[in-house]
Amino acid sequence: MRAIVTIVVAIVSSLFLLFILGPIAGLLTKGGVRGVVGLANDSELRDALILTVVTATTATILGVVGATPLAYLLARRSFRGRAVVSALMDLPLVIPHPVAGIALLLVLGRASPVGGVLYNAGMRIAGSSTGIVCAMLFVSAPLYVSAAREAFARVDARFESVARTLGDDAWRAFRRVTLPLSAKGLTAAAVVMWARAVSEFGAIVILTYNPKTASVLSYDRFTSYGLSEALPVAAVLVLFALIPLAALRALRAGEPLGR
Amino acid sequence: MISLERVNARAGSFELKDISFDVPTGAYGVVIGPAGSGKTTLLETIAGVLRPISGTIHVAGANVTYAAPEARRLGIVYQHAYLFPHLTVRENVEYGAVSKDVAADISGRFEIRELEGRSVTSLSGGERQLVAMARALSRRPAAMLFDEPFSALDPRTRNTMRRVVRAIHREWGFTALQVTHDFTEAGLLGEVAIVLDRGRVVQQGEPEAVFRKPVTPYIADFLGAENVFAGTVRSIDGESADRITGREDEFGKRAVEFTTAGLEFYAVGDISDGPAHAVIRAEEVSLSTETSVSSVKNQFRGCIIEIVPAGALTRVTVDVNQTPIVAAITSRSARDLSIAVGDSVVVAFKATAIHFC
Repeated sequence: MRAIVTIVVAIVSSLFLLFILGPIAGLLTKGGVRGVVGLANDSELRDALILTVVTATTATILGVVGATPLAYLLARRSFRGRAVVSALMDLPLVIPHPVAGIALLLVLGRASPVGGVLYNAGMRIAGSSTGIVCAMLFVSAPLYVSAAREAFARVDARFESVARTLGDDAWRAFRRVTLPLSAKGLTAAAVVMWARAVSEFGAIVILTYNPKTASVLSYDRFTSYGLSEALPVAAVLVLFALIPLAALRALRAGEPLGR
Repeated sequence: MISLERVNARAGSFELKDISFDVPTGAYGVVIGPAGSGKTTLLETIAGVLRPISGTIHVAGANVTYAAPEARRLGIVYQHAYLFPHLTVRENVEYGAVSKDVAADISGRFEIRELEGRSVTSLSGGERQLVAMARALSRRPAAMLFDEPFSALDPRTRNTMRRVVRAIHREWGFTALQVTHDFTEAGLLGEVAIVLDRGRVVQQGEPEAVFRKPVTPYIADFLGAENVFAGTVRSIDGESADRITGREDEFGKRAVEFTTAGLEFYAVGDISDGPAHAVIRAEEVSLSTETSVSSVKNQFRGCIIEIVPAGALTRVTVDVNQTPIVAAITSRSARDLSIAVGDSVVVAFKATAIHFC
């Protein structure tokens, strides 16, 4: 009986792995080489990749700066409405991303009060790289908040208490103790956010179709020229995804299994 | 000085209720209580880590009730050390030190100089505790809070460290408050004992007085009094304790009979007739092979049911009319008496050895 269960588990697990790896392997096999070669010749693809990296990095920096205090508050402080704030932060993760793009367009589009004021002040959001940053920030920052909150929560608050009794004020204790102890977790949170920002499509395509990020370019090539033209771009995006994956592996090296 | 007046505080669902006590300047206070009695919560409230709901806290003469932890001039050593894992031993000790010289001096006293370059993650439990102690003391605080700091140490290191801490305490004159569940430790270190139970102070005073005269059977049991008997007090007409003992501190007490499970004790106490608990420390009970004519009024013959040698002392349990009475005698006396389980012996204790609660 036990042997049968083991065999069934092995077959089901193998099928699942195949389901995940099959399409990716197929994509890399068919478009990988053309994609890498295309990086040298295809300026549109190169520009799209550079734009993706720059906007994702900008969104990540904004997310880290803006959301770290919130993540710390959610991890450490007990305040009225904490559950509501947590739920609100998770909202962008569960709504369809084109819907997120529509919501952003409502607030930041030229026809909206905020977007109108910014446009008149010379700051165009929709249809610009700023719009891409906004879309990336909106959909990926909640991932950072969640992971950063987890990273802070893993540092026992008593380390801070001890630092306080040793003469540190709250900020100094945070800087000298909590931040170094949660640095690995915060970096991993930022990498996850960056990876999510790079792969974003739904919100970006609503808010800013042009200039094109890599994900929008792959969609554009698919709808305009068909599968074969979309393949190299898609394959490069998959290879690109290996960067944050490797970074996360390196950050987690040495951690016990299951963590 | 550490002084608390009617302090109430909450940590999650746990509450400290109406806590009041004083540990005078330079004194060594001990907080004793079972697990979950609120000992650590109490220390964290004094340290400013937890904010009290009401009441006042004074440390070194200043009202620090709502002051930030860093403004309280006190140090805290937790049971689990909480060394900063990203820093070396030296960096930990120097973290809040008034000077590097003081940090080096303290490190020397705790014999951790040779560990200074090491990462704290490579230290043993005992070494971690020593570093935590050195780190807190390097700040030269006016008051120190210790949360079972010796619990991770082996017995030999524990004794050495108690001596070192006591020596520094005497030399610097800081006020100390230590949490422990070990009453022997409390007796060795403390000048003021505070017994905590379920978030309330249930007794306070000199450790010896708390040890000898617990105010409730629960405290007696917790403090390791082996002989706690439930029974009934009945006064003996015409007798009063001052006539029996002639001692001034016994003046006003009455001679009473205490009946428990078929035994009658002769005792003196400031207690009215009715149900009560009698506490007799095992150290106050003596053993002999024969009944003797002496001033010791309580003598009962019984049968030895257990002998437990523990170093210099041997604890002997004697069954007297199905009531076990424990005597703690020196191991040498046990050898001289040549006692064995099943032997018939006489247990004896003075009327004044009985404490009522």
